[in-house]
Amino acid sequence: MDQVLRGQEVAEIRYMPVRHHSPACAYHVRQLIREWEPDCVLIEGPENASRLIPVMVHQDTAAPFAIYYSYRDSKGYVSEEKADYRCYYPFLDYSPELAALREAAARGIPARFIDLSYGEILTAVREGKGLRQGGEKNNYNDDYLLARSAYIRRLCEKAGMRNFDELWEKFFEQNGLYEDRDTFISHMLDYCRQARESTPREELEEEGCLKRERYMARCIQEAAGSCRRVLAVTGGFHTPGIQELLAEGDVKLKLTGIPEQDQGVFLLPYSMEACASLNGYASGMPYPAFYQQIWEGIEAGRERPYDEAVLNGLAAVGKMVRKGDGLLSSYDEICGYSMAQGLAGLRNKREPGAYELYDSVLSSFVKGAWDLSTDQPLRCLQAYLTGRQTGKLCDQAEVPPIIQDFEKQCKAYKLKTGTTLEQEITLDIFSSEKHRQVSMFLNQLVFLETGFCKKKRGPDLQKKKDRNLIREIWRYKWNAQVLAALTDVSVYGATVREACTARALQSMKEKTGGKEAALLLTRVFEMGLEEQLELVYGQVQRALLEDEDFYSVAEALSYLVLLREMGELYQSSIDTEPLLLICLRKLTALLPGMAGVQEEQTQACMQVCKTLCQLTGQEAYAGEREALYQAFVRITEQRDVNPGLDGCVRGILYGAGLHSLEDIRKVCAGYLTGTHDQLMKSASFFRGLFYTARDLVFTGDGLVGTMDRLIRRLDSQSFMELLPEFRMAFSYFTPREIDQIAGQAAALYGRKKKELFALKEVTPAVYDYGRRLDQLAVSMLAEPDEGG
Amino acid sequence: MNAELQMKPPVEVRYRQELEALKNSDTGKKPLNWQLSPRAVRTFILGSSKPVHGKDGDVEITRKYYGNDTLVERCIVTLAGNRGLMLVGEPGTAKTMLSELLSAAVSGVSTNTIQGTAGTTEDMIKYSWNYALLLDRGPSREALVPSPLYVGMEKGIITRFEEITRTPAEIQDSMISVMSDKVLNIPELGDEGLLFARPGFNVIGTANTRDKGVNEMSSALKRRFNFETVLPVRDVALEKQIIVQEVSKLAQENQIEMEVDEDVAELLASTYHELREGVSSYGHRIDRPAAVMSTAEAVSVFYQTMITGYYYDDGQISVDCMVQNLLGAVAKENRDDLEKVRGYFNTVIKDKSSREGGLWTRYYEARKWLR
Repeated sequence: MDQVLRGQEVAEIRYMPVRHHSPACAYHVRQLIREWEPDCVLIEGPENASRLIPVMVHQDTAAPFAIYYSYRDSKGYVSEEKADYRCYYPFLDYSPELAALREAAARGIPARFIDLSYGEILTAVREGKGLRQGGEKNNYNDDYLLARSAYIRRLCEKAGMRNFDELWEKFFEQNGLYEDRDTFISHMLDYCRQARESTPREELEEEGCLKRERYMARCIQEAAGSCRRVLAVTGGFHTPGIQELLAEGDVKLKLTGIPEQDQGVFLLPYSMEACASLNGYASGMPYPAFYQQIWEGIEAGRERPYDEAVLNGLAAVGKMVRKGDGLLSSYDEICGYSMAQGLAGLRNKREPGAYELYDSVLSSFVKGAWDLSTDQPLRCLQAYLTGRQTGKLCDQAEVPPIIQDFEKQCKAYKLKTGTTLEQEITLDIFSSEKHRQVSMFLNQLVFLETGFCKKKRGPDLQKKKDRNLIREIWRYKWNAQVLAALTDVSVYGATVREACTARALQSMKEKTGGKEAALLLTRVFEMGLEEQLELVYGQVQRALLEDEDFYSVAEALSYLVLLREMGELYQSSIDTEPLLLICLRKLTALLPGMAGVQEEQTQACMQVCKTLCQLTGQEAYAGEREALYQAFVRITEQRDVNPGLDGCVRGILYGAGLHSLEDIRKVCAGYLTGTHDQLMKSASFFRGLFYTARDLVFTGDGLVGTMDRLIRRLDSQSFMELLPEFRMAFSYFTPREIDQIAGQAAALYGRKKKELFALKEVTPAVYDYGRRLDQLAVSMLAEPDEGG
Repeated sequence: MNAELQMKPPVEVRYRQELEALKNSDTGKKPLNWQLSPRAVRTFILGSSKPVHGKDGDVEITRKYYGNDTLVERCIVTLAGNRGLMLVGEPGTAKTMLSELLSAAVSGVSTNTIQGTAGTTEDMIKYSWNYALLLDRGPSREALVPSPLYVGMEKGIITRFEEITRTPAEIQDSMISVMSDKVLNIPELGDEGLLFARPGFNVIGTANTRDKGVNEMSSALKRRFNFETVLPVRDVALEKQIIVQEVSKLAQENQIEMEVDEDVAELLASTYHELREGVSSYGHRIDRPAAVMSTAEAVSVFYQTMITGYYYDDGQISVDCMVQNLLGAVAKENRDDLEKVRGYFNTVIKDKSSREGGLWTRYYEARKWLR
């Protein structure tokens, strides 16, 4: 107990060092408040969450829940990247902080959080440390500080414990329950001091511990100025630091001054599973459901809460194993219980705990060698120890605006929430304005990765598939994870729409390619985010200008063309013209460099040429036509031009009147009379040519005859090699045109077209012979194999 | 028999001093007929940091089993309970050693053992007859030849059943009723033909999971046992320590006055460790040989190398000789393993030789013996 001079009086300060998830700490802090009756209770936790306390202690609020903090670094206080940050601070019934808050509320004692606000903490933490570790879910809880030093490793070894958690359970959870409070606190403090002394000061600085402790010390000092009895509940690791600071006298501290609007803080229902998975970072305690039982046992005044929880655990796991296909008898459970008892005795523990439960399941329930096929009991145990309980907030809880918006829209669009059954909805997106709105909303939820809905059928702009469909069929399913996912993105905006825009802008910054940018634009298009589009639009423009990859720009072009075509249907006002123009110019500039394109990319390249040609045919882009044709001419002038592309480009030039039929014929003859390798390229050339100028075949008599001459020059092996290419070349023609070509070909050999269709009669005798042959084969196959 | 005349004295003889000292200072509660309390059994196997007071002064209790301490604790508690203990795992993971240590500490004797083979019959497990006496006196206790299981029940001590899965399944099953009822029926003896097990009786079985020719246990028998899976040592430093300790012990027993070369032991430990895990300390991916790469094998390779050095090379341990012995130990089952070891030398050891030189280079040069 420290004493601080307070005017004429002396204020008493009591420190309660705690571990975040700990039934024993929760028990002692509650008793301390009951018996000592402080004037105010100060709890470690970012101070901007203090206004949530009435909801946290409300009788309708049930743990587990978490405080969710978000911070948008708009001024770049944390780093130049101006990124967004968020973290969770989970609470269970047996979290000492929550126990203290509840007890204080029950007695009408004012309570508040005293740590730096989340944003301030971030500014004090070096990148990659503490709350700025890269993980998916950052946890405010820093119990890992207690568990990581070399001192603790040696301690575990000496005590014969497998890890810190087992050590903690034995000495603090179990023994702690039977110690009087002052002994417990002094043991805690001794232990925490040791842990602190074996942590280098630089590390404390880098993780922001020192600044936080200064702030907490100052808050305690302030409270001591107005209250007579102050209780400070802080993480055990920080308590000695705070005590030292207060002993030195007035604590000075300079804050960054984080703007309030950049910080978000909400309560969120949480699940036991999420609490346990947070333990992946060695923070908090493992086995939340087990310790929940311990806490309930303590509250009910049970004599041996651990013993009882182990027995319940064995019975429950036994039941789970039997429910699966495991064979387990009651006798196994009896043996398991006696194993747990025996181990506790051998290990000098008061009662068997979670680790004895684990050992007894391993020893008595696992039959045969322990491997993947036999560890079902252990998996059941894991599930049991983790638990499935989820929390709930009272009605007064402030819901993040984005969830409010989500629920409002769901209601407006009659989407069912509150049931976890999967629903299906069909939307006539082009005929109903409302349906289009619903589709936009659902697309936005997909974009935010909420897991709420999935499009089953409908036009797919990203894959350029099913564009003929006029309906969308969606499946959606509401569950708590959707809310969690929405809360995760709440840092991006107050409404679903806003969050989408911010997310789109952010991913735009990450992606630089033109193709990705245009792809993103299609999603923006589907989401109907038009008013907020300007910024995204500018980014796409920049991405396109910077992109030097022909195919990426070409892909972007095809998406843009698609958007322009679909714009009217989707009633979109996105102006694709300037973007298309950028692509057009860019591709024109890159085109001559593509002359020597690889065989496998020929088709893609030809496609681009055709699209460009069609585009410049339109009035809006007529100004680009000349430059494009010049680019085409430059392709044909190159020496090692790809034959397919050559044909394709020449076809376009012929169509534009820049090449005469004679020119084309000359080039054809060039291929046909060339060396063997060139000859082999001719089919590919025709393929390209027909792709863009198939009418060439029907003008004059030339081309079919020329081709005939080519084919006659081939030996059969070369013909077989070229055949697939020829087939491909003729696939661009319609059946009627093929019919016409066949006629021309027949005429070359003095035949009439009709004769091609005249079939030679097959006599019934031939059919009969065939049938008998067939029967014979079947009967031979059916006969059993005799004599080998 | 005098301990010096035994090739391998049993555990209770080898550690007589430690066991006596523990008994002397043991204040813990003992299950009926146990020689030591469970806590003292634990100390005997896992060692103690402080010496224990014996009748003739303080005795240091060494650690005899490395690896998993909680496993040892579970074993001890199982033995005090109603079920047998079954140690399963790959060959060479010190299952037998652990079972010997446990029975020596619990019952003071580790030799009451059934050695299971494919030829084990039910009378070897229960009892058989001295036929001369049987013909002379008829069925009587004198004419009965007790099996280790019989002895265990009669005296209230532990019966060890080695390699239980090598005996045919139906023979294994003759244990079932004995294990659950703790009574053996001998119909030939009439009214006196019931042998009730005394407290302290239990069975420790060891079983192999990876060898050829093992029989699956019936689930009825499985239910009579708690299973403990003994895994290979996963830590190179620990493996080295085990090699050094075991080889020193062997050398001492066989009066070979030669120091164990710790550097060479480390070489061997890391070879065994890497070949077993399939990845080197530098991160190379390694083809794992099919042969069992157990610590026990490593000990025997090292010891063999050491006695060769002692008798032929003036007390110098030779890396060449070790590679030859390694070859003999690994290339037992198929020739592919030899290729894998050679590949290991040509990549991992080569790399280590160029990075660390010294002994590793000599080791790498000794690869010529891999043929």
